Amino acid sequence: MRWLLRLAAGPLIWAAGFSAIYALHGIGCAEGWALVATPFGPLHRVALLGGWIATLAAVTLVVARRPRPALDRGDRLLGLGAWIGLVSVVVTLAPVVMVESCPAPYP
Amino acid sequence: MTLSPHPPQRALALHRELERVWGRPRGVRGFLMSVNHSDIGLRFMVLAGIYFGIGGILAMLIRTQLATPRGAFLDSPLYNQIFTMHGSIMMFLFAIPMLEGLAMYLLPKMLGTRDMAFPRLSAFGWWCYLFGGLILLGALATGLAPDGGWFMYAPLSSREHSPGVNADVWLLGITFVEISALCAAIEIVVTILRLRAPGMRLTRMPLFAWYMLGTAVMMLAGFPPLILGSVLLELERAFDWPFFDVARGGDSLLWQHLFWLFGHPEVYIIFLPAAGAISTILPVMCRTTILGYEAIVAAILGLVFLSFGLWVHHMFTVGIPQMALAFFSAASMLVAVPTGVQIFAWIGTMWKGRPQLSLPMLHLLGFFGTFVMGGLTGVMLAVVPFNWQAHDTAFVTAHLHYVLIGGFVFPMMAAAVYWLPLISGRVRVRGLGETAFGLIFLGFHGTFFIMHLTGLLGMPRRIPTYADHPEWMLPNLISTAFAFMMAIGFVLFALDLLLHGVFGRRSPRDPWDAGTLEWTLPLPVPSYNIAAQPVATQPSAVALARGEGALPGAPRGRREVLAGSTLDARPQHVAVLPGNSLLPVATAAVIGIFVLLLLIGAYRLAPLALLVVLACGWAWHRFGRDIRPTRVAVTPGLILPDQTGLRDSLTSTGTVALLVADAALFGSFLFAVGFLGVIAPEWPAPASGLAPAPTLTLIGLVMVALLAASVAGRHGGRTAPLAGALAGLAALAGVAGLALMLDDPTRHARDALRAAALGFVALHIGVGIVLALIARDRQPGTGAAAGRVWRLWQDFTLVTAAALVLVAAGQEALA
Amino acid sequence: MVPGSLAGCTGPLSTLTPHGPEATAIATLWWVMLAGSALITALVLLLLALAFRARRPALPPAFWTQGLGLYFSLGVLTLLMGVTILTGDRLSGRYQPAEVTVEAIARQWQWRFRQPGPDGTPVETTGRLHIPAGVPVEVLIRTEDVIHSFWVPQLAGKLDAIPGHENRLRLIAPEAGLYQGRSAEFSGAGYVDMGFEVLAYPPDDPPAPFTDRRTDPVEAPRP
Repeated sequence: MRWLLRLAAGPLIWAAGFSAIYALHGIGCAEGWALVATPFGPLHRVALLGGWIATLAAVTLVVARRPRPALDRGDRLLGLGAWIGLVSVVVTLAPVVMVESCPAPYP
Repeated sequence: MTLSPHPPQRALALHRELERVWGRPRGVRGFLMSVNHSDIGLRFMVLAGIYFGIGGILAMLIRTQLATPRGAFLDSPLYNQIFTMHGSIMMFLFAIPMLEGLAMYLLPKMLGTRDMAFPRLSAFGWWCYLFGGLILLGALATGLAPDGGWFMYAPLSSREHSPGVNADVWLLGITFVEISALCAAIEIVVTILRLRAPGMRLTRMPLFAWYMLGTAVMMLAGFPPLILGSVLLELERAFDWPFFDVARGGDSLLWQHLFWLFGHPEVYIIFLPAAGAISTILPVMCRTTILGYEAIVAAILGLVFLSFGLWVHHMFTVGIPQMALAFFSAASMLVAVPTGVQIFAWIGTMWKGRPQLSLPMLHLLGFFGTFVMGGLTGVMLAVVPFNWQAHDTAFVTAHLHYVLIGGFVFPMMAAAVYWLPLISGRVRVRGLGETAFGLIFLGFHGTFFIMHLTGLLGMPRRIPTYADHPEWMLPNLISTAFAFMMAIGFVLFALDLLLHGVFGRRSPRDPWDAGTLEWTLPLPVPSYNIAAQPVATQPSAVALARGEGALPGAPRGRREVLAGSTLDARPQHVAVLPGNSLLPVATAAVIGIFVLLLLIGAYRLAPLALLVVLACGWAWHRFGRDIRPTRVAVTPGLILPDQTGLRDSLTSTGTVALLVADAALFGSFLFAVGFLGVIAPEWPAPASGLAPAPTLTLIGLVMVALLAASVAGRHGGRTAPLAGALAGLAALAGVAGLALMLDDPTRHARDALRAAALGFVALHIGVGIVLALIARDRQPGTGAAAGRVWRLWQDFTLVTAAALVLVAAGQEALA
Repeated sequence: MVPGSLAGCTGPLSTLTPHGPEATAIATLWWVMLAGSALITALVLLLLALAFRARRPALPPAFWTQGLGLYFSLGVLTLLMGVTILTGDRLSGRYQPAEVTVEAIARQWQWRFRQPGPDGTPVETTGRLHIPAGVPVEVLIRTEDVIHSFWVPQLAGKLDAIPGHENRLRLIAPEAGLYQGRSAEFSGAGYVDMGFEVLAYPPDDPPAPFTDRRTDPVEAPRP
């Protein structure tokens, strides 16, 4: 069981980060976070970028802690799982660097 | 760790001994009672095949109607029923049950064991599938079939816009069938993780098992959102709780999210088992081994997760922010990478070996020639601007048929002709199958290739006539003509399968010279699969038949298999499996009656049926209670206990799997709460009429009682279950008090959500009480597993109830 | 200019004979993707065919799983992402301020439109939307019952009408004429009849009065 959890750790972090950032994005649009100023820029941007960086940090940790040297197939699969998590986080969440465009607020 | 096998015995005597224990009675009684995985798996596949035929006939009706611009063959209401049923049948009554059947039939044989982990659950799932499917077919025959599209979008499917029983048939019937999907998923996971032959490491098991593990995990996470959506929509239709009614705080988009949270992973749930069949059959057809085992396992891992990150790509046109579109567009493209890895690994396997053009190989080539194009149009549809044009046109119809027929039907046909000798013990006659393949392949591409163009010319899906658009006539006529060719091909394919049973000659053992474990079995496969479980990596068929392995025969008159550890399959205990039983069919029948009562609106009678279900559940547990604890010499020198008295039984692994699905259901519910609160227009909700003092008191009572029950579960001991059950009763009383005080659920979605949450908690407390009583009913030495199941459940109940209290508190604090 | 004007690709709802900048950009994207897909399909079929040749080079497993599976797939998809973003940019309507705002209100099974009339005052019509040609128009899309979808294929992609929400679609009709549109979301028994039309008129010469589609068929050139 532990091995399976380690195998899925990277993708699980991706799933958690993806859900959290999608939720932050929706809440930010609904609450007008784009208009709330913080020292680092509009709150919406800060929240999304912050979420992305936190997710990246977590999944990078998984990659860094993959078994090295990989002694057998089990170890190699753990490494692949970690990389899948990292690539997924980078690619699917990259749009947070885009300029945010919420739709016009609903009445 | 190496195990030494038992010494050889007389094969025939072993066979007779095993047949006596693992066989079933003849005739109708045997049909009703059988729980054997070969029987049930085969039944799943046969019934799925029949539904494929029915769905295919509906497809031909659609094509006939569309052959000409003013088709007068079907009127609009009937046409709507037919395309809705075509989609629903193909998805829920053909594809999913077919893959479940294939997995159930093959997995124990490939993993070197004798049955699935929960044989009665397999049978129960099949009966649910049969009865649920009959409800849908009955509705089709009486003109009451669902007519809102297979996706049942709210608010078209709400009581106001679909007043008839049609939508209820879909919601209740499909949910009924999904019970079988969840049952299958749980036991596939447990079988793969725990029942592998001793020493078969997870990282060395057949790729098909990896694929099925991925599929089953996806089913555990993917079906609950749809079940939740169906339950909420049925609650809205039956009791006017406004989850999807925008005027009262609901939102129709919630349905789309829940539906596609299921609907997109569903595509991969269907594709993965087919890919598993390809990864198994292709190397044999090329006289080599699979290329890139590790890359393929990684690809499966990627698909399992990534496919949950693109459900919104079915909703690109509902008007969502650019950035959200970009997330899902990127995920939709990324998911193509693991698919690409598999495709090229397969082609590499062909280059490595010497491919031979036998019939399974033809179907696999049909897969390549079809699925690659379907995948590419899928990537096109992930491109948001293009999606805005192509969405809901015939282009999408073409795309999804390329993916599903290419990615599922062709591999399944390859699987059927490849594994047929296991079932019948015969090899097929050459000729007919090849002709059938040719007709299907040509017919398919003739039908659907041009349909891409039809869609780009602007023809929407789901219209019965197109009198104003002569430019769509020729492509539609071509599609219809080739569709008939494809239909004839499928008829020939079915005929080939039937005829081979009559005219085929006896098959030698391992007719494909595959060398994999399932082909070491005698043909046709006996009820018990193997006389002894293999302990070596390359067991010889003769040695196994003589009992040279672990657990030879059935000397104790019980159905026994080895259960091992997850990663390295180290034998841990002997699992005693239940045998023939009428409980599965009886329980499924009672649930069927429950569904029918709901369908006719007899809401007061329905709880009675649930009580009978409870009684069945109680009878179900008596098998475990009545096992006599025994220690067994599984191999000379290795003596293991059976599951009685063990905490780490198959049931507790199964409970963990069930709770994963339950957590997915709960997560979907939290998503619904958050989504409505953030997106639905009619929020904030009107002030709650709950009086603070009594509400807080009752919530406190419930939580303290649940905490007490969890502590009791943890504590163990003889009196703990009774204490836990009493605490559960107290919690139930508190929930009942809260229910009486609750705001009218029909007023606003928030109040409806709270009522639903209360129902969720009440159901879990109720089940917890039953589990505590079961733990109490077990003998002192044999209650450990039941106690652990109860404890897991109780902790889950506590955590989810606490989370719901926090959510409600948050709502009140923000209001 | 685009191959779509070939015979066989025409028709009043054809996405392959686009007119507005939005629809044209998307049609171009389609032809690019079609070419790319055809190449990839050809490559896969070629590799499959070569597998049956007696003599073929022995390639290391990494060539297949990493070289083709991972890097080739990722490369193609990155390229496609780039093209998509470029196309998104070319959907110029997004950046131009709309000069005219009209409302499209759907119900089972017809479309009503509210638009500035010939004299500037709002006029409501059924089944026919009137817009000035060559001017960026914003369409506010709403529904009064179930979900529908506003779609004029030759001008722009579709956008749904969702209960309780209002969606905004930007489009330009480059030349005057009659464009066909229809709902593209299944809405029950009368779905097939949910067509409408968009009459783009020269901005200085609006037809008077604005009329409904069913009662007053107009003879306007199909652009």
